[in-house]
Amino acid sequence: MKPLDSVKSLRECGKPVVGCFPPYPPLELLHSMGLTPFVLWGLRGEVADAERHIQNYACSVARRLAQFVMSDANGLLDGLLFYNACDTLRNLPEILREGLAESGAVAPPMFRIHVPMVPTEQTDSSGYLRNEFESLIGSLEAHFGVRFSEEKFAASVALYTNMRDLCLQLEEDVSQGTMTFTDFSENLMSANFLPVENQVELLESKIAGSGPSLDSESPRGRVIASGILAPPNSISRLIDDAGFRVVGNDIAALHRSYAYAPETWSDVYDYYAHVYGNHFPCTTLLYTADKRVEQIMKMVSGRRADGFLFVGEKFCEYEYLELPYLEKQLKELGTSVLAIEISIGDDTAVETYRTRIEAWAEMLEAAQATTSPRVGQGGK
Amino acid sequence: MGHEKTNSGESLTRLIVQSYMEAFNLWKEGAFVVWGAIVVPAEIFRGFDNVVYCCPESHAAMCAAKGAGPDLSQIAEALGYSLDLCSYPRIDIGCVSGGRKLSPTSGLPKPNLLVSDNNNCSLLVKWFDVHHRNMNVPHFIIDVPFCYEPQAEKDLDYILTQFNDLISTVERLSGQTFDINKFYDASMQTARALFEWKRFLECAKHRPSGLTVFDSFVQMAPLFTSRGRTELVEHYKLLADETEERVNNGVFPVPNEKYRLLWDNIAPWHRLHKMDMHLRELDANIVAAPYTSCIGGLEGSFELFELALGKDPLWYMARTQNMSVCPYGLDLRFDAMSWAIEQIGIDGIIFASNRSCKVFSVMQMDLQKRISEKYKIPTVMIEIDHADPRKFSDESANMRLDALVENIASVRSSV
Ligand code: SF4
Ligand code: SF4
Repeated sequence: MKPLDSVKSLRECGKPVVGCFPPYPPLELLHSMGLTPFVLWGLRGEVADAERHIQNYACSVARRLAQFVMSDANGLLDGLLFYNACDTLRNLPEILREGLAESGAVAPPMFRIHVPMVPTEQTDSSGYLRNEFESLIGSLEAHFGVRFSEEKFAASVALYTNMRDLCLQLEEDVSQGTMTFTDFSENLMSANFLPVENQVELLESKIAGSGPSLDSESPRGRVIASGILAPPNSISRLIDDAGFRVVGNDIAALHRSYAYAPETWSDVYDYYAHVYGNHFPCTTLLYTADKRVEQIMKMVSGRRADGFLFVGEKFCEYEYLELPYLEKQLKELGTSVLAIEISIGDDTAVETYRTRIEAWAEMLEAAQATTSPRVGQGGK
Repeated sequence: MGHEKTNSGESLTRLIVQSYMEAFNLWKEGAFVVWGAIVVPAEIFRGFDNVVYCCPESHAAMCAAKGAGPDLSQIAEALGYSLDLCSYPRIDIGCVSGGRKLSPTSGLPKPNLLVSDNNNCSLLVKWFDVHHRNMNVPHFIIDVPFCYEPQAEKDLDYILTQFNDLISTVERLSGQTFDINKFYDASMQTARALFEWKRFLECAKHRPSGLTVFDSFVQMAPLFTSRGRTELVEHYKLLADETEERVNNGVFPVPNEKYRLLWDNIAPWHRLHKMDMHLRELDANIVAAPYTSCIGGLEGSFELFELALGKDPLWYMARTQNMSVCPYGLDLRFDAMSWAIEQIGIDGIIFASNRSCKVFSVMQMDLQKRISEKYKIPTVMIEIDHADPRKFSDESANMRLDALVENIASVRSSV
């Protein structure tokens, strides 16, 4: 289904639909206030309108987001929510307004928070974050005529936590070889365009439907996939077809989004202090930088991965500034790294990717044959 | 200013050489060295007895201006840093990764603390993380909320809290005590220097202009290397006096100035001389740039925001954290540019779309459209990379600059 059509079906629930800038907006809060939130990523297609407003050296996530909102002249979105996720995204709200104005449309109301980017051991930003959420709740109440309640919030949190647990279970299925990485990422990326209740249904049905291990033989390589978005299907298929088993991922739209949910919290403010404070590390959460490499190393050795596949979003400086150090650390651990880059024209370069992925599979296979115990198992 | 060495030109060289030499000498004697982002209030470090402050961005710009950009970048690229990344971190990482000899100052003294600031860009935080990991040096992050409207009180308070935490961090790591009076004194020196800086830039209002933007690009360096010092005040006073005097004596950098232009982006460090010469041949002069004029203002405003007597300088530093080129939105940028067009007298605008500084450039297409609609003045967009000449074409840039000038001429002749 095309993204615009997906949003049309989101509207069928009859609740106001709020498009949220990626990667980690406070979805539970919006849901608890009777709104239907979704994250503005995983959008595909041409970016003709956006090209009149944003240079081609902005990443595809930002350009596609812009295209999606600018082409929403029919007002499918009842609101936009954004936070200081990245340098490119912070410039977009006014650009979107200009783009919509060009087609005679008025931008939907915009809501904003600033998530503190300082490490807690450096600066106590809890008061600031609380204030941001108080203002956000106040603006949402005033605009949509809704009321916030802690009870409803707790119910929404329970739903989202369940959804995230199910994502982790499915991730485990992929790691066990009972589901392909392509199916997994395709399902999770499309779940984003469903109300959370339907996401839970979809994920449960996928878990119920996953059968015995798909590959009778052992995989040619056990790999961790990393990046901002799940790779496009054409690339995920190459990964599956090459005989890789994706035993874990460090993808912002996947594992980094669903890996952590607070177990206890006292109120909505405390909940988000936990969410952002203990989030699975991400290149965009500046204060998590120190923990990130450590977590990835843990994932690589815990999942007995022998390869790390970085699917870089072209022009994402957050990811690319961290890659060389990460790569060095991984190699020291004996983990092979393959970096490929995706951008707007990613589907046209499939053959190049095929050759590189296939060659990497051969390399890992050869390494497996000569190395005992398995590299990445702490054996090197 | 022309190309004969002026007194202020000589003073600039002296000041820059002195600041780098002093940093190295103090480091050798055991001073605590801070590497800070360009917008970190260095006056805070002057509040300590023996803390040296260095600015990697400014150093990278100097390397680029002296032609070392590509070689230093290539060292970083060989280590895996993508060519799509901003050229400043590539130059800087190249410099600390074996490229010191290529730097005109042999790099910077080794830091004890890194202080990044995400007001211009978060990329800078990631860049300092590279050093933090490779050199095993603590990294303090200043988080400045972006503004779409003038800075909010809550954001100012948040920044102030962080400044206070920064002071405690330096105290803890250096073992030195912060002296508020020294800090106040340094803040006053900077405030005086900014007053003189604005007096210098004001000379652009004269027709013909008393300066070219290239003069201001070159002259801005001490604002990042020598903040809080009396020498800085003396230097900018000399610069402003000298420029005013030249205007009074009828001495202008582009005497037959027919086209007054505005430059929207960071300086093209590797092309200052060439571009200046090309424009002079056309009797065109870039007389201003938000890049140099925003210093000392609020949210991009060209006007000086003075440190009023009796105001807490730390409050002032926090209030001006969104002054720089990137930490505010399109509407504020439009207001600032409108002021420049109206007050300085601008005939055309060069939007320099800078692949390296995406954060500065990404709203230019709409800014260009709004400015063209409101002021009906010709504008042009050229592709640059501020510090990497490999991503710049003289031919294509000159063609567009020529077209801009022709366009202005044809608009004039049709009126
Ligand atoms: S991919 Fe990177 S640059 Fe693009 S929106 Fe995400 S964080 Fe920002
Ligand atoms: S991206 Fe722009 S603001 Fe950031 S370091 Fe580079 S030049 Fe400076």
